[in-house]
Amino acid sequence: MKMDVVITGVGGQGNIFASLVISQYAMNKKFNVLGAETIGAAQRGGSVVSHIRISDGTIYSPLISRGQADLLVGMEYVEMMRHIRLLNPKGTYLLNAMKIPTVLNNMGLDEYPGSEEILQAARKYCLHGHVIEASALAKKLGNIQMTNVVMLGALVKVVPFFDYREVKWLVNANSPERFKEANVKGFEEGYKLIKIN
Amino acid sequence: MHVNFTGIRGGLVLISADDPGGLSSQNEEDTRILVHQYAHLPIFDPCSPQEAKAMVKEAFDLSERTELVFCLRPVTRVCHARGIIEFEDLPKDLPVAHYEPDRERFIMSAVEMPKFGGLKRPQIRHRWLNEKQLLLQGIMEESAYNWIEKGEGKIGLVGCGMGYTLIKEAEQYLDQRLPLLKLGTLPLPRKKIKGFVQGLERVVIFEETEPFVEGLFKRIFQEEKIEVEVLGRSGFVPAEGELNLQVILDTLSKAAPRVKLTQPQVPTLDLHIPIRTRTQCVGCNYRGILNALKQTVRKHKGIVAGDIGCHDAGSFRPMELQSTIYCMGSSVPMGSGMVLAGVNRPVFAFIGDSTFYHNGILGLMNAANNKINVNVILGENTVTAMTGFQPHPGTGVTLAGEKTTPVNVPKLAESLGISYRVVNPYDIKQCREALEAAVKEEGPSLIVSSMPCYLLSTRRGQKVFEPREIRVDPERCNGCMICINDFGCPAISINKDQKKVSIDSMICVGCALCADVCKRGAIS
Repeated sequence: MKMDVVITGVGGQGNIFASLVISQYAMNKKFNVLGAETIGAAQRGGSVVSHIRISDGTIYSPLISRGQADLLVGMEYVEMMRHIRLLNPKGTYLLNAMKIPTVLNNMGLDEYPGSEEILQAARKYCLHGHVIEASALAKKLGNIQMTNVVMLGALVKVVPFFDYREVKWLVNANSPERFKEANVKGFEEGYKLIKIN
Repeated sequence: MHVNFTGIRGGLVLISADDPGGLSSQNEEDTRILVHQYAHLPIFDPCSPQEAKAMVKEAFDLSERTELVFCLRPVTRVCHARGIIEFEDLPKDLPVAHYEPDRERFIMSAVEMPKFGGLKRPQIRHRWLNEKQLLLQGIMEESAYNWIEKGEGKIGLVGCGMGYTLIKEAEQYLDQRLPLLKLGTLPLPRKKIKGFVQGLERVVIFEETEPFVEGLFKRIFQEEKIEVEVLGRSGFVPAEGELNLQVILDTLSKAAPRVKLTQPQVPTLDLHIPIRTRTQCVGCNYRGILNALKQTVRKHKGIVAGDIGCHDAGSFRPMELQSTIYCMGSSVPMGSGMVLAGVNRPVFAFIGDSTFYHNGILGLMNAANNKINVNVILGENTVTAMTGFQPHPGTGVTLAGEKTTPVNVPKLAESLGISYRVVNPYDIKQCREALEAAVKEEGPSLIVSSMPCYLLSTRRGQKVFEPREIRVDPERCNGCMICINDFGCPAISINKDQKKVSIDSMICVGCALCADVCKRGAIS
């Protein structure tokens, strides 16, 4: 059994917290876990990718290579598309419908592709995907920084590998005291966002 | 470097990380050349976080045994990896530290040694270091970090550190196993290498980053009269950049064309992906002082020497403010150098507080001592924000988290005899006035732009400004782009068709700095 997960986003969106929770979950399940963060050089604003490799066998490279990922989590449109070729076309993606324009986009010097164009390209690449308004929900719940826990909630619904109660427990355990209640709420609401028939 | 000549008592392990590919640092250099070739010290090159952990312990043990400094040289993919590490129990009954004077070793000076017929001490210590190399070679021959994995054919692979890991990753896509030598030590295990290459016609070496082991192989083969072709990073494998699975597979298809590759194919993507350069956080106080500096620099045709830290993104588009960025603490000396060289323009040096305490303080002292007319701006956010909020001497907290006395910068400036002005970076007008005054003044000056890091404060539930809802009045906005080009908050973007800016309420945190940047009062 193996589960390769890539989480993509913009610095500040909480990739690292999400990857920590996923890694701990897999560790608790007695799997091998190895991963890496490519966080560039800054806390925020840059492109951030977390690789999490879970397996019952030996894992060598901490990085997932082309076509190997079973699950691709996009906290932001363009950042997911930047790394979509890591995803096995038979895998699953989970996208937060959030656009964070780049500096050159803001300056009017570069085009940020339209949502429909992006979604078409994603659907063409991989048939199994979910697009959710996680940031909008997080903002409604009081803090856009809860996007990551909303995404984790949705992820648990989408991927049978993850157990709702155990991941929820880890979200709580890894949150600072002041944010525990809100983060657990965000996780629960994220779970409800996904409707699977 | 002296400690290689003196050696040590107890154990000393030097950890120097390299960043192949320049993923998050200023250069793509190879520590092994400096530490092994130049200083003749042994190195461990880990292939995984777990091996790095084991190597540190062994390096300490061996350092104590050999009296030599040992070096661990992990690359980015080891340092930034997250994995399961198995710990052992801590050793019990550790000896109590004591110091035994040994002036013949630990006073490194060009003094005559009567015992050695009057030869100078550095030469005798050099002899000592050279004699240690035989001992090291014996140790590395037996090391658990070098091993051979059997395979078919006459083409052998050599994986050093992360190079080994990537070869193992690649094996799943190959239809046969090639003989593989895993290396994790310098000096190299010469006998093991000789055994490995028996019957081979060619070896391909994967190492980060310079063709260093490759060069040592060629030397060994020449000395041992071994006729095996050596290929590696002197050109056969790309000579720059990070090794990755693709590099390994592409190289193997050239070096061993008979081996079949079965890498998964994925569809191509027909979509324009904009490049994302980093910037300061939305709400960051640096944006206020950088904007004030940008205005001042434009007015007076100034030059800004930059430094390492969150503020360095001010050198990228759209601000394009700092003209130089080198290593930590380089801003003030470079600015000083420009002044001394006779650049007849106002010169500024922008440095963050963590970098200032690390090394920048010396540059300021030198500028003060030599009365160099450089205007230093200290971005005092009271923490090492860029790398994850480590404390520094201005934080008031020790590394262990205990309270301590922070450096008092105004008192420091007073003792240096230079003028200083403390400003609030969320008050652009105040910053502008202080910068104007500094430009007009002869001699070195210091502006302390003081406000805790927004990101850390927010995490701690502390407010550095009163957030408010920010709106653009489209009637007043004329699309002049000042709020974008001279400020560059990620929440503000231009609509090219309407020639109006808008603020994304999902991204904006309400610091209201942009309202002060807009000259037309269109943002409030």
